[in-house]
Amino acid sequence: MGKKKNISAFSIINGLIFILICFIILVPLWKVLVDSLDLKTAYGMKFWPEKFGLDGYKLIFMNPTLFKAIKVSLITTISGTLLALTLSTLGAYVLIQWEMPGRTLFANMLLFTMIFSGGMIPTYLVLRSLHLTNTLWVVILFPALNVYNLVLMRNFFEGIPASLYEAATLDGCTPMQTFIRIVLPMSKPALASIGLMYAVSYWNDYTHYKLYILDSNLYNFQMKLRGMVMGSELPTTSGGASENTVKNAAIIIVIIPFMILYPFLQKYFVKGVNIGAVKE
Amino acid sequence: MAKNNNKKVPAQANGTSKSLGTRIYKYRGFYLMFLPVLVFAIIFFYLPMLGVRYAFTNYNGIKTPSFVGFDNFEKMFNMPGFWSAFTNTLEISIVKLVLTTFVAVVVSLFLNEIINLHFKKVVQTIIYLPHFLSWVVTASLFSLILAPSGYGLVNTFLVNIGAIDSNEMIYFLGSSKWWRGAYYIINLWKETGWQTVIFMATLAGMNTELYEAASIDGAGRWGKMRYITFPALANTILTVFILNLAKVMNLFESAFVLQNDAVLDTANVLETYIYYQSFNSGAIPNYGYTTAVGLFKSLVGCVLVLVCNQWSKKVREGRGIV
Repeated sequence: MGKKKNISAFSIINGLIFILICFIILVPLWKVLVDSLDLKTAYGMKFWPEKFGLDGYKLIFMNPTLFKAIKVSLITTISGTLLALTLSTLGAYVLIQWEMPGRTLFANMLLFTMIFSGGMIPTYLVLRSLHLTNTLWVVILFPALNVYNLVLMRNFFEGIPASLYEAATLDGCTPMQTFIRIVLPMSKPALASIGLMYAVSYWNDYTHYKLYILDSNLYNFQMKLRGMVMGSELPTTSGGASENTVKNAAIIIVIIPFMILYPFLQKYFVKGVNIGAVKE
Repeated sequence: MAKNNNKKVPAQANGTSKSLGTRIYKYRGFYLMFLPVLVFAIIFFYLPMLGVRYAFTNYNGIKTPSFVGFDNFEKMFNMPGFWSAFTNTLEISIVKLVLTTFVAVVVSLFLNEIINLHFKKVVQTIIYLPHFLSWVVTASLFSLILAPSGYGLVNTFLVNIGAIDSNEMIYFLGSSKWWRGAYYIINLWKETGWQTVIFMATLAGMNTELYEAASIDGAGRWGKMRYITFPALANTILTVFILNLAKVMNLFESAFVLQNDAVLDTANVLETYIYYQSFNSGAIPNYGYTTAVGLFKSLVGCVLVLVCNQWSKKVREGRGIV
């Protein structure tokens, strides 16, 4: 009896600690949401807007350059994710052809890039000499080959029974046909997980824009947000919304698409980590 | 290096009896499929590697590079800015790594003790969330929350509880004294939850009979945590630690978006140093010099990866990290 009581006391304290942890994680987000809806910004601690208004959001949506930035974010995320998935699945599929001459060379060639890199400046100079800088191509193409994710994908493909490939080959399928008809349909969970990881990294990309793009017409929303929070690209505030309201509204606009989808997608993200973990 | 080379024994030996040409012809479709990957690897990884030759030249990006031998490296080792960036990189990365891993392990151990599965799932969903926010969003959030004004949440709180006076608010991200502490806390906020995923996966795959046996032997909650759960995690903890240790030189974006001119003495890391020297110095850039710094960084990183790889092979029964 006494032991049982002891356990539940622990559970309650443990539960309370985790409620506190969740609270700490959510407070910054809640604070930004509240302030984005508040036209009266004077004071740090409050849990509800004092003077409710959507003027901050209105200012952002009335600004055409910010709309353009959202468009850039969407275009690069969608095309980049598709390209990156294509490259990782193709590469992964070739790397499980164990008897292919040159397979080890290809594998080592990819793995070497994880050990040594040319560095920031040589990369910049190469991209500049290819006339990729200051175009959206650079932020779509350059991050598209991710060796780490390619290896994750390969680990997943290894789990597909080899008999399926052999049967397809006997039926006269070319490697490409086997890939499209057998491998890809069997890999939906991995495609979802790794595809989502790519989508998040394209959507969140800041570094590649900062390094390779000068033309502010080609900025994505992360760049615009950065500009706004640093104060250089703030839309002129008028009416009710203060600068802080607009900054907070901009943060909310960047994260809201993800926040709405996140509860439904969370399990795929976790699976993605476990694709690699299975092999550990 | 290639961890799986010797793992798969070729199923049929018929391939080896044929000539190399025949075997290559047999795989022609696969070579074609690998071509795009090869092109990307060459353009975006191998061409820049050739670019490290600029480290031995004077090059401003316009005029043709002129060979100067090891001058850039000599200059680099005489620059106080370089040394402070180098030590900052190591200190910040390693403290961050140890701190995040430690807290993630503790959180995982206690998360594992939650009995109500719904509650556990809600907690996991919430603590994973910040990992998916970009560094720009995270920096924006915290620059507003840590602002040294009545608007900043943390400073207001400190004033309210009487810890500081309202006219001596702390500029956490703008003072060398506070910046690193703030940086570590922001990193904990963002990444601890996600770090628990891998630990929770290990715990989920654990043999529950061990717990039952321990209960029969009279082990209490703490005993089980100490003697069963933690040892089960030990290998995963070491793996995660080694994997991340190999990447400590790559620190860039998180430091870059949180730093400002006032804190560069404690916040400047090698990658941000290279960035400022190349693109923000105001003078004509010397790409030769910054390439040399980058090469030094890559070589140190390379050594770290190889050392970690050996270490990993030792503790993980032959499995390296690359």
